[in-house]
Amino acid sequence: MSETKWLDTRLPALESFRAFWSDPVLPRERPYLASLPVLITGALIFQFVSGLVLSLFYNPADAYNSIQFIDRNVNDGWLIHAFHETGTTMIFGAVFFSLFRALWLRSYKAPGEVLWFFTIAQFSLLLLVGYLGYVLSDGAVSYWSLSGTISGALGLNSFPGAIGTWFFGGADGPGTLARLAVFHAVLALAVFGILFLEYLARRGMEPKVTRGVGLHPYYTSQYFAAFVVFALIFAVLVFFAPHLGENPLNRGPADPLMLPVSVAPPWYLLPVGNAGHVFPGNWGSIFAVLARLAVLFALPWLDRSVPSKPAGFLHKLLVFILALDVILLAIWAMQPPSLIGEILSVLFTAYFFFHFLVLLPLTTALEKK
Amino acid sequence: MAETLGQATAHGAEASRRDFLKILNVSAGAVAVGAIAWPFVDALSPSREAMSVVRPIVDVSGIAANTALRFVWLGTPIYIRKLTDKQIADNQFVVPDSLPDPANYADRVKPGYETFVVVIGLNTGTPCELLGNDPADPRGPFDGWTCPCDGSVYDPLGRVRSGPAPKNLAIPRFTFLNDAQIQFG
Repeated sequence: MSETKWLDTRLPALESFRAFWSDPVLPRERPYLASLPVLITGALIFQFVSGLVLSLFYNPADAYNSIQFIDRNVNDGWLIHAFHETGTTMIFGAVFFSLFRALWLRSYKAPGEVLWFFTIAQFSLLLLVGYLGYVLSDGAVSYWSLSGTISGALGLNSFPGAIGTWFFGGADGPGTLARLAVFHAVLALAVFGILFLEYLARRGMEPKVTRGVGLHPYYTSQYFAAFVVFALIFAVLVFFAPHLGENPLNRGPADPLMLPVSVAPPWYLLPVGNAGHVFPGNWGSIFAVLARLAVLFALPWLDRSVPSKPAGFLHKLLVFILALDVILLAIWAMQPPSLIGEILSVLFTAYFFFHFLVLLPLTTALEKK
Repeated sequence: MAETLGQATAHGAEASRRDFLKILNVSAGAVAVGAIAWPFVDALSPSREAMSVVRPIVDVSGIAANTALRFVWLGTPIYIRKLTDKQIADNQFVVPDSLPDPANYADRVKPGYETFVVVIGLNTGTPCELLGNDPADPRGPFDGWTCPCDGSVYDPLGRVRSGPAPKNLAIPRFTFLNDAQIQFG
C-alpha cells in the first residue's frame, strides 16, 4: 500500500484511474446495447493493430501487388487482411445500429445534443476513413471511384476546389495513394479523440446516482458478455465471409482503360454514398453526402417533441420505415443500372429527406399536443 | 476427491468450485489471447520467400576438384572449394604453431565433409576479393588464394601463409544438409 502511495504522490493518474475503475457512481442498470460505444472502441483498437501490420507490407507505389503479396506470401497475411476487412464491417455495423438506436430512442434530444454532434462527427470521419481504406485496395472498381472523386474535387471552384487540391495533391498519380495511406491512418487515430469526447459528453449528461455501482466488476462483466457476442459474430465473418458486402470486381487490378460493369462501393459506403447519381454534376455527389450528414446534424431541432416524453408509436414506425428506406436504397445501388433502379433511387433518396424535413417535424409537433 | 468435497463445509465447496472456475476461465482466456496475438507476431517475422534469401541453400555437387564456386550471400562473396588429395596431403600435417594464425585441418572443414572448404573470399588485411578459384588464376606457392591488392598468400584451407594479412579467411555460418547441399545462415 505504501508503494502505491509513493507512486501516487508522483503520478496522480493512478488515483483517478482507481476512481474511474471502481467508484460506485454508475447507474445500477443499463441495457446491453449501451455497451455499443465500448465495442466500437475495442474494434477500432483491433483495427489499429491489424492496420499496423498491413502497413508494414503495403506499398502505395505498387498497391495492388503488395496486397497480393500480403495475401499470399506474408505469414498469416490473409488472416490479418481478413481481420482488417471484417473489422470495418463490424465497426460500421455497430455504428449504423447505434445511429438507428439513437433515432429510435430520440437520445439526440436535450441534454444529448452535444453527444449527438460527436456521434455524427465520428460517423462522418469513419466514412471518410472507410472510403480511404477502400481506395487503398487499388482494385478495378476503387480506382475508378478515386479518379472520379479526384477529378470532381479538382473541378470545383474557389475554396472547395482548393481543399480538394490540398487533400488529393493534384490529379490521380503515383503519389496519391501514398498520401491517402497516411491520411487513412492519421484520421483513423483521430476517431479515438472523438470517441473520448463522446465518452466525456456521455458522462456529463448522465444523472447523478446516489447508490450506484462501480465499473468493475459490474459493468466490466456486462461489457464482457457483450464482447463475447460481438467477437463471435466477428469470428464467423472472418472465417466464413471475409469479403462480405464487397464488390467482387474490385478483386481485379485497376485498369485505366476499362470501366467495370458494376462500380458499387463496399456496403458500408452505400447508405450514404449511393445517392451520388441522383444529383447531377460535380457538386451532385458531394451535395448528396453532405446533405445527408447535415440533416442528421440538425436532428435535435427538426424533432419538435418534448425531451421527457417517450417516443410514440408513430415516431417508431417512421424510424423503422426510414431504416428500410436506407437499406432498399443500398440494395438498389448494388444492382446494375436500369431505368426502374434509377427511378426508385430518386424516390428513396427523396423519402430520406422527406422524413427528416417534413414528416419528423410534423409528427413530433402533433404528438406534443 | 469426492470424499474430500463431501467432508468440506458448504462454504469450502463453494470456494473450491469458484477457484476451479476461475482457473478454467483464466486459462481459456490466456489461450484465446495467445491464439489471437499469434498471427500478428507471425506476420511480422519474415516470410518463406524472405528466408530463402537470408538462408540460401547451395548445390555443391557440381563443383569439380581443384576449383571453387563463387557465390554471393547478402553481399559477401563466399568461396566453396573442393580440395584435391594432394592439397589435403600437403596441408593436413602442417604444424599449426608454425603458421601466422594457427589452425589445423580439422578447424577449417566440417567433419564428414573434409574435402570442402567454405570461406568468405575477402582478404583479411586490405578488404579485397581473392584470386585462385580457377586453376588458371594466380594461386601462390601453396596452391591456395592470393590477394591482388596487397599480395597476401593463403593455402587451400584458407589459412594465411604470408603477407600483410593477419588472420585466416573467415568461415561463414553454414551446415551441410547432405552430400550435395549447403545451407547458409
